[in-house]
Amino acid sequence: MTEPAEPQRITPLRETLTEPQTELPRVTTGGEWGRYLRVFLTFARNSLIRDMTFRADFIFHCISSIAWTAMNVGFYLIIFRFTSMIGEDTGWGQDEFFLFLATVWFINSLVQAFFMPNANEFSELIRTGGLDFALLKPIDTQFLISFRRIEWSALSNFAVGLLIAGISLHSLATREEAAFYPSPLSLLLYGFFVACGVAIMYSVMICLAATSVWLGRNQSLYDFWFYITNFSRYPMEIYNTPLGRPLLGLFTFVVPVLVVVNVPARILARPLDPRADWELPLAVWACVATFGCVMFSRWLFRHSLKSYRSASS
Amino acid sequence: MAIIDVQELTKSYRVYRKREGLMEGVRGLFHRDYTEVEAVRGINLRVEAGEFVAFLGPNGAGKTTTLKLLSGVINPTGGTATVMGFVPWQRQNEYRRRFALVMGQKNQLWWDLPAQESYRLHQQIYGVPADRFQKTLDELTDLLEVKDLLGQPVRELSLGERMKMELIAALLHSPEVLFLDEPTIGLDVIAQHNIQRFLRFYQEQRKITILLTSHYMKDVAALCKRVVIVAGGLVQYDGSLAGIIDKFSGKKIVTLQFADGDRPADLDRLGTLLDTHWPKVKIGITRADVPRVLAETLRDYAIEDVSVEDPPLEDVIADLFHQVS
Repeated sequence: MTEPAEPQRITPLRETLTEPQTELPRVTTGGEWGRYLRVFLTFARNSLIRDMTFRADFIFHCISSIAWTAMNVGFYLIIFRFTSMIGEDTGWGQDEFFLFLATVWFINSLVQAFFMPNANEFSELIRTGGLDFALLKPIDTQFLISFRRIEWSALSNFAVGLLIAGISLHSLATREEAAFYPSPLSLLLYGFFVACGVAIMYSVMICLAATSVWLGRNQSLYDFWFYITNFSRYPMEIYNTPLGRPLLGLFTFVVPVLVVVNVPARILARPLDPRADWELPLAVWACVATFGCVMFSRWLFRHSLKSYRSASS
Repeated sequence: MAIIDVQELTKSYRVYRKREGLMEGVRGLFHRDYTEVEAVRGINLRVEAGEFVAFLGPNGAGKTTTLKLLSGVINPTGGTATVMGFVPWQRQNEYRRRFALVMGQKNQLWWDLPAQESYRLHQQIYGVPADRFQKTLDELTDLLEVKDLLGQPVRELSLGERMKMELIAALLHSPEVLFLDEPTIGLDVIAQHNIQRFLRFYQEQRKITILLTSHYMKDVAALCKRVVIVAGGLVQYDGSLAGIIDKFSGKKIVTLQFADGDRPADLDRLGTLLDTHWPKVKIGITRADVPRVLAETLRDYAIEDVSVEDPPLEDVIADLFHQVS
């Protein structure tokens, strides 16, 4: 049998590669942090390009998110037609509560924009073996799978949160009784504890996603997220009943999602002084819980990768 | 020192045996039967720098699992392995900067974006300086003739074009060791040929070490001097491609062109009749018997032409796979 003639589509290769194999020089500007920042920005950029490609989907997503927020706002406005405060003497009047709600939107939108699509995809990467490629890259695997995709449309709720917070703060500052402006320190602490809240939610999500390695499939992430955020989106005073206390303990100390919104919202919605005895320890606990959650989730994630089996080629 | 050194590498999986039917499904909620599947059962392999080695074996032989172990994607059950002095499954960044894995059936580029966006991401992840990145990209896109496709979303590319893009992604950081898992799977003859030519040229120029798995014998014949046959999770053969026939084929194919006349009834006494288009007959004959049988044939019959050949490599390997499995 003779070899078929070489197809005409194949053009001759160039004579030689211009550069011989040498030690690959590496970009060192800004060190490792600089590299991680650049990768993150490229992820953000690529996600934006992708979202723009499917612009109708992007716009629908924004509209549906904002509509859901508007329905919630309407719902609580109705509630406040029947009561002036959530619970007796809790300090959660309408303006304060809407600041609380704004904090919920901030944290939710940040988690949904940066982590939710990635954590959800992680389960799929494990099932299909797509995680192989993430494990090959010379960069922290948890970082790589946590920030791969950014859902920019989820940030529309962040903008709505800003609007609600602005209106509530203005209303607090101009009301006749006990008007106040948050101090710069309050704003600084607020930002810090919102970041802590996002970190706690991220950790819970990573823990849940990591279990996919052992379960093979874990599609309950969105459901679980909905259950958890349902608990965290109300002031913790409402759990102060005989039936609610076990929940209060569970969601403050074991899965500390109650501190996620409560701590920052409480700081912004009232003057820094005076404060109840338990508020400072709660804030300190929020810091400890954040650190603990991040460390535990990282340990669990790394541990889970050891059991990764990949999937058929 | 060998660039890849593998000693008694094993990998086994616990697999859930699901039985058929609803009742068995319900039973499976409470009690499950597991079996151990030994994908790799003790592989030994040494590869020197600059070698282009083919990994052959039937489906499920453990080829891809071995590549995944050497890439650090999965952890082994036992044994040791080093690549460039690194233990792969420790996943050190220093190691991961210096090798690449291409899987013909998996896609690492962003599906909805043009390949150039994924390449930019690779540049950031591997920390390749911009000028160096541009030069390498120009060179590779030029070689693989895909410059015009860089701006096209990956999902709109043909399979052959996509594989070229995947290869570029794997080579942008100039790896010293390259693992290729069926890079030409599903490609047409021209696309296969293009990829083969590129790989051969690139390997000759850069002197990198390549481990290739493929089911296409043409890939192997075109690219690799050394062949490792894996079956049943073990290395069954390690040597040259031609050596496979010597070692595993006990037969020669003898083609006889008879002079016109009636077909003799006792042809099968010569050996195994493979093909008959009278007056041309193809017979499989045990190597040691070839001289004797040929002498007898020439004595007893009127023969116009004779040829003696080795059996096709594909057939020898298929027989070998069949025996092992």
